[in-house]
Amino acid sequence: MNLHYVVKELYYQRRRTIISVVGLSIGIALFLILNALSLAYREAARAPLKEIGADITVQRPGNVPQELTGAVFPCSAVTIRQEEITKIEKIPGIVGIGKAVLVWVFDPHRAWIVLGIERENPIGPAILRAFVTEGRFLEDGKSEALIEAGYAQQFGIKVGSNISVAGRSFPVVGLVDASRAPKIAVANLYLPLKDAQIIAISSKPLQSVSPFAPGDVNLLFIKADQQQITAAAAAMKSILGEKVAIATPESFLKLLGSLFALSDKFTLAASLIAMLIAILIAFKTMAGNISERAREIGVMKAVGWTQHNVTMQLLTESVIQCFAAGILGILIAVIVAFGLSFMTVNIPIPWEMSPNPHFLPGGGEQLYKTLQLPVHIPVTLAAFSLLLSVLIGGLTGALLGRHISKIKPSEVLRHE
Amino acid sequence: MNNVDILMGANLSKKYGSLEVVKDVSLSVKEGEFVSLVGKSGCGKTTLLSLLSGLEKPTKGQVTLNGKEIIGASEEELALFRRTHVGFIFQSFNLIPTLSAWENVALPLFPIKMASDQRHKRAIELLEQMEMGHRIEHLPAALSGGEKQRVAIARALANHPKIVFADEPTGNLDSATGDAIMVILSELHRKQGMTMLMVTHEPELAKTADRVIRMQDGEVLA
Repeated sequence: MNLHYVVKELYYQRRRTIISVVGLSIGIALFLILNALSLAYREAARAPLKEIGADITVQRPGNVPQELTGAVFPCSAVTIRQEEITKIEKIPGIVGIGKAVLVWVFDPHRAWIVLGIERENPIGPAILRAFVTEGRFLEDGKSEALIEAGYAQQFGIKVGSNISVAGRSFPVVGLVDASRAPKIAVANLYLPLKDAQIIAISSKPLQSVSPFAPGDVNLLFIKADQQQITAAAAAMKSILGEKVAIATPESFLKLLGSLFALSDKFTLAASLIAMLIAILIAFKTMAGNISERAREIGVMKAVGWTQHNVTMQLLTESVIQCFAAGILGILIAVIVAFGLSFMTVNIPIPWEMSPNPHFLPGGGEQLYKTLQLPVHIPVTLAAFSLLLSVLIGGLTGALLGRHISKIKPSEVLRHE
Repeated sequence: MNNVDILMGANLSKKYGSLEVVKDVSLSVKEGEFVSLVGKSGCGKTTLLSLLSGLEKPTKGQVTLNGKEIIGASEEELALFRRTHVGFIFQSFNLIPTLSAWENVALPLFPIKMASDQRHKRAIELLEQMEMGHRIEHLPAALSGGEKQRVAIARALANHPKIVFADEPTGNLDSATGDAIMVILSELHRKQGMTMLMVTHEPELAKTADRVIRMQDGEVLA
């Protein structure tokens, strides 16, 4: 193999070289972009759960409250018993559990959406700590309240004032900006978990629909091993019953509805088709080039090039072209991915994951988590595609080279 | 010229289907001898040259080149044998269009493990010998017919061959240029003792050689 000869050949036949390099690079770029889009949708689908520090949320749907007075559970989130939580903790792949109690409280002059949270648990709504705009976050062992900033403004509630909820009084210690906060488990009043549990336990209307004992909750935020999320979700269904509502990145992906999000098979098929077309273009161009060089190859063999020498020469030409195509394909993909990363995606949040009573202002509105599509080309994918292009080059060059190098010099030089 | 036979063909025949192009030909060439094979177009002289040089295998017969029986050799062995023992000059030059003059001369040396500056030096040396020192970087497309053939002759000599096979070396050239090429070939033979077997259809050119072998209808005439 003579590199100098390879470079001169590729330069001299630059039109063909450009066609095969560009053809293959487009295929490589499409392969990368389709896979990057698929990964981006998967990443986006993880966002609503990720921002609350979880991979899975669990709620158990139940009966509708008979009357909307006092504290009641939304029908989308009724009691999950303590013994059931103990069983869930033992499921393989479960890393940690965050607990919460979501209660609607209908007082005579005001309706509250109350969320009882674990103050120190990083899994779940305690992440709200970062969204306190005024005052402070809840302190350990104190019965105090945080109010959603918009709600506080609407009803003139200030930090330092006291509020009465379900017959209990709480000092307001801080305001939370829910517009910036996670979209899951949104409330307008945040209390320590223990206080929310007390409200639930002492509510007769709530107990009549869904018996609730100390230690029970009605929302679970679960951190799990990424590879075991589906299996863990299935195991939870066997504990909590088939009707349980389990949200996972996969279920958000289905809500997105994009072709890229819906099916790995679609992405795989589309990227393989793109790659196949590109390979065919490159193969046809290289085959055309090589068959035109039959006489040249005859001369090479006449002056002492062996079949192996000729094959290696053509293989090197092919590998260099395909390597260049791989690099160009990656560059194109990176540029396109940069452009696509400005695209926004709206992920619908199911009502039951952030239930507001329908009769309250905004209660029936669809909530969305809006984010920029996190499109990027992973280094491993880029390296794989570069390796793939070199392999394509090697295979194409070896196949074409072996075929043409069998030519007998006398066959092409006879007809002068 | 000495008395050692460097090339021997014995009872060579070549058939393409039912057509016998070379018919039971036997001939030999001595080391340092300049032999021309002359005959009308289609009489089988180019085929005979291909058989004798190992480019093609005969239907029947034996070829011994530089003491080696080449008929039973594989394609790869023949290629290696040509690389070290044989030089070719073709009627239509057969230069590689993408390579410059010096690179074309170095073409037989590319598969050989040697320093690239040595390869370059050898090619330049040969081109200067062919009075082509001023055209070393030119592509074949920028060369005249005579210049192309000079490059082709230099290429044939690149690997220090034992014998050079020339197939109608002046066939694509005007008479003046053809004469100049014949002078170069004659001098190669005369001054360097190069063994040459030249195919031509022009009896006048054939006379330049030490010995003339005539062919007609695939047979060597007595």
